[in-house]
Amino acid sequence: MKQNVGGRFPRARTEGLVIQELPDEVLVYDRERDKAHCLNQTAALVWKYCDGKSTVPSIAKRLEQDLKTETVDEKVVWYALGQLSKDHLLEENVTPPALLSGMSRRDMVRVLGLAAVVAVPVVTSIVAPTPAQAATCLGSGSPCTGGVQCCSGICNTGSCA
Amino acid sequence: MRSCALSTCFVLVVVNLHVKSRGELVSAALAGAWRKSQPPTVNLTQAELDEVVPLLYGSGAGALGWWRVRTTELSESDSAQVLHQAYRLQSLQSVIHEEKICKVFRLLRAHSIDAILLKGWSAAGLYPDRALRPYGDIDVVVRPEQHERATELLARPEVKDCWVDLHESIDELEDRPGAALFDRARDTVIADEAVKVLSAEDQLALLSIHLLKHGAWRPLWLCDISAAIENLPSNFDWNICLGKNRTRRGWIKAAIRLANKLLSASIESVPDEVGVGEVPEWLTRSVLRQWQEPFAINQPPMSHPQSMASVLRHPTTLVQALRQRWPNPILATVSINGSINSLPRFPYQIGNCLTRARRFLIRPPRTAH
Repeated sequence: MKQNVGGRFPRARTEGLVIQELPDEVLVYDRERDKAHCLNQTAALVWKYCDGKSTVPSIAKRLEQDLKTETVDEKVVWYALGQLSKDHLLEENVTPPALLSGMSRRDMVRVLGLAAVVAVPVVTSIVAPTPAQAATCLGSGSPCTGGVQCCSGICNTGSCA
Repeated sequence: MRSCALSTCFVLVVVNLHVKSRGELVSAALAGAWRKSQPPTVNLTQAELDEVVPLLYGSGAGALGWWRVRTTELSESDSAQVLHQAYRLQSLQSVIHEEKICKVFRLLRAHSIDAILLKGWSAAGLYPDRALRPYGDIDVVVRPEQHERATELLARPEVKDCWVDLHESIDELEDRPGAALFDRARDTVIADEAVKVLSAEDQLALLSIHLLKHGAWRPLWLCDISAAIENLPSNFDWNICLGKNRTRRGWIKAAIRLANKLLSASIESVPDEVGVGEVPEWLTRSVLRQWQEPFAINQPPMSHPQSMASVLRHPTTLVQALRQRWPNPILATVSINGSINSLPRFPYQIGNCLTRARRFLIRPPRTAH
């Protein structure tokens, strides 16, 4: 993956992804890494505007229009880009300004303070429950008679996929 | 008058003290969960939700559980979030599965193979959102004369990842001619790909008999039936659905009445002759008992830690092994073509054991030494 120093024109990755848009969030499955992510509305909009032509200030402007708010701090966009980049959802890695580098969600909320008019962008991983919760179906290689018995949902010639 | 008021209080106290069994919790959590809107009020406390979540998640009804609680106060709890994750995962999985179904049907159609998609995706279409109903493998039935060719095609590398369960007949619908199933099948479309699914009549029959054939251990299957009977097309033909075999007609009726009793499925559009009638007490009890732990690992043969051949070599565990193999009364009844009525199930369970013992003696399973 290339490094987009300064993240001037971030571009969303499209190859190797399964994208499902829900009313309040966007779900993304990364086929290459076998990982699923959930983008809240703000993160999803930032991702959508990463067209390789828009700058961070212009993305912030478009957020203002879409969310019908007066001002969206550029920090919000940088924070979203940092998360999208970390989860390999951008074509090129984005390096946020030093001030925002390594900022946690809590720090972000504090920096934006009460003036924040949009939800903090959040990209979370969608994970299956812990083994204790999921130990109710058969693991890969276990003998089975039907897909319903397998955690994968697939019973292939007598054993779970 | 006063004693009457006291007795009313006593009844109310007893009702409030009634602790729901885990099976009843599953039933309460899933009642009306397949509806787009206006499901019955969620009659669960936070503690009850915490208890029922692993049962829903582990049996494939996690997303339905989320659908049920998503607009309630319970939705922000950690337990509800586990259900929400199930819904999200299934949303993504449904997209991936649809791609695979299209690939399979494109290949079969290119070689003029007539195929019907069963259960899974087709059953998910009964819900307001396909992500509510999980499915893994792709169940496909083809005409018997095309089965061999279809088997060859589905062994090709390009569909190797599609996990097709290919059938040349449908056991659950063996009372009706296979050709008639194809004649009645409906055309539908998945992402521009034409796919055939069973008619609404055959689908409801299949879902009902499939539920009973497997002992009704999976709550999701009863939700499928509930969703089907609340979404019947206006021209639904009950004679086709019920078929001509009297026993099987009784099975389908029993499944529908069970959906009404345990999950509050509406039987408004179901004729009284089908939807109204007593559900045998043993049937309800047996289903709720199964729902106490509705997991695949509790179903035979996985619930048998040792093979029978191995047990016979070390007979000290014989009694325990026989107890583990004592059949569920629903499964036992269906396995030997018995009627579902209020008579005791013991004879059917003995009959099922004898049938299995005969099969074992004729062809004992191979075991590892």
